[in-house]
Amino acid sequence: MSQVIIYPNDEGWLSVISPAFNCGLSVEEIARKDVPAGKPYHIIDSSLLPTENTFFNAWEADFSNPDGHGIGHEAWFRGQ
Amino acid sequence: MAVTVNASTSSGLVWSSDLTGALQLQTNGTTVASTATNGNFAFNSGYGSAATAYGCRAWVNFDATPTIAASGNVSSVTRNGTGDFTVNFTNAMPDANYSAQYNTRPSSGAIVDICNISSVAGPTTSACRVFGGQSSNGAGRDPVVCFFAAFR
Repeated sequence: MSQVIIYPNDEGWLSVISPAFNCGLSVEEIARKDVPAGKPYHIIDSSLLPTENTFFNAWEADFSNPDGHGIGHEAWFRGQ
Repeated sequence: MAVTVNASTSSGLVWSSDLTGALQLQTNGTTVASTATNGNFAFNSGYGSAATAYGCRAWVNFDATPTIAASGNVSSVTRNGTGDFTVNFTNAMPDANYSAQYNTRPSSGAIVDICNISSVAGPTTSACRVFGGQSSNGAGRDPVVCFFAAFR
């Protein structure tokens, strides 16, 4: 299985980011870039996600000890 | 004129040049592709003449999970909710005035008659949010495959 990035979105549930592994960035770099600024994230194996999307808006995760925080697109491209 | 490379069926390879900085590829004296000093690239390829090409600057094929099957200049796809995705670009666009195209293949029996650029967040230089759903109630629907392309 592949790695995905999860973070709590402003709507109150989780967003799931699937990296494009041909883009030349590592999954850690993609997380910093594509997770909105200040949002905590986890990088997890996609097999850990529920297989049923019907109740996607009810998915929850513990972000008290995240893998990192996003810096967002603006800061990422400013640093390039 | 320009630096011209002409593939002639009678004379073979014919070179000519001046100092304009442009480049032309010709077949029997007819320009089939060129680059102008402003960086514009033109090609014929059945169009009728060598015309400026406008490129697809980002594209992706993904499903609702959202696993990416193939892509170009896309770093990732974010699933924001049912039928609600954000395409994130690897390299930023020069501005947000690109033309974004979005379409889906719905699951059997499911109605997905809205496929648009999201009203929640407009296209930016770094990402484009898209939405697919049912027009009768505005609810998002997860398609089987999503197709996105941005031209500029």
